Amino acid sequence: MKNYILGFLILCLIIISSCTADQQCRENKTVNSKIGFYHVDKKSTDNTITTSPLTIDSISIRGLIYNNTTKIYVLMDSLLYKSALTKSNVLLPLNKFSSISKFEIAFNNKIKDTISVLYEKSDQYLSLDCGCIKVFEIDTVLTTNHFIDSIRITNHTVNTTNAENIHLYK
Amino acid sequence: MVFSVQAQKTNKVQKIDSIPLINGVTVQADVASIISSAFTSKETYSSEVAVQVDLKHKYFPILEVGYAGANKISNENITFQTNGMFSRLGVDLNLLTPKKDQKPTTNLFLAGLRLGMSSFKYNFNNFIITDTYWGGSETLNYTNISNTKIWYEIVLGIRVEVVKNIFMGWSVRTKNLLNQDVTGQISPWYIPGYGINNGSSWGLNYTIGYKLNIHSKIPIVKIKPGSEVKKKSSKITK
Repeated sequence: MKNYILGFLILCLIIISSCTADQQCRENKTVNSKIGFYHVDKKSTDNTITTSPLTIDSISIRGLIYNNTTKIYVLMDSLLYKSALTKSNVLLPLNKFSSISKFEIAFNNKIKDTISVLYEKSDQYLSLDCGCIKVFEIDTVLTTNHFIDSIRITNHTVNTTNAENIHLYK
Repeated sequence: MVFSVQAQKTNKVQKIDSIPLINGVTVQADVASIISSAFTSKETYSSEVAVQVDLKHKYFPILEVGYAGANKISNENITFQTNGMFSRLGVDLNLLTPKKDQKPTTNLFLAGLRLGMSSFKYNFNNFIITDTYWGGSETLNYTNISNTKIWYEIVLGIRVEVVKNIFMGWSVRTKNLLNQDVTGQISPWYIPGYGINNGSSWGLNYTIGYKLNIHSKIPIVKIKPGSEVKKKSSKITK
């Protein structure tokens, strides 16, 4: 009987010690679309096309947001990249409360192109500590052709995996 | 000489049959869940009772039923609330085998399996999503979401008779869900009867029970003198 009471006390201690403190979120909650730059080489001899990663010397990017009163897209005040040097890819946040995000990209502080990303968004539950995030499925991408030759979606799903979603070709 | 062998055989048969099929029914309540509920300051709470039948003092089918719930607020003020009934059905096996020519002890060392089930509703509110670059924020609320969870448990425990017909016991158990959540979809933080829904769960029970002396009739086996010997000899001839 004495042993039993002792066992019961130990049990109580285990229960008390098992009450853990609240945890902080340790999961990656950042969801950005990743855009890579590529160079297209077309050999005139046998018409073969090869692509190779392209490094941009200097790049500046900022978003374009639709102004409901003026009914036009206007540049965001803050830049996502400000004369960032030697970039072969960039991470661009998609608007969580719209189905289109537009970005103005200035290559080497001279030539500017505007790319538009159209997508469907959905809510993804992570955990009690981390909450929910928005994830995206890219439908369409469009671009102007001042510096960029073409654009292609390589991975439609934008989530926390950090995979490249869009290729820009020069 | 022949008579003495017959007498031994008859005794053996009587001993096996001296334990009836239904050898008592124990009604028990879990104390550990009530104590732990007090320590978790109502974040999670649970209480359960069980009925266990002693079959031949070897197999112990059990039905556990209870009520549990949770009221949890995360660091980011996300609130989770649920409550519901749960039940577990299973069987324990007594690992203590009585020594030869000894009366089986009332103490038990049990190993068993359970199949648990709970149908419940939960509210998961105040998920705030903000857009730091483009601006804007949204609050997501999931209310009255119905869910049914099924899981299995592996149980190990002891039970001792402290006073006549009063039993105390403790057991540890691991729990694993049979129907897993779909990644990315909203899922309950707490499942009544299972615990916190974060991979496999574990549980501790400390029970106090009363054994009701419900017994089935001991079947009377009529042994014809010399029948056992005959059986044995027929085996040998084969």
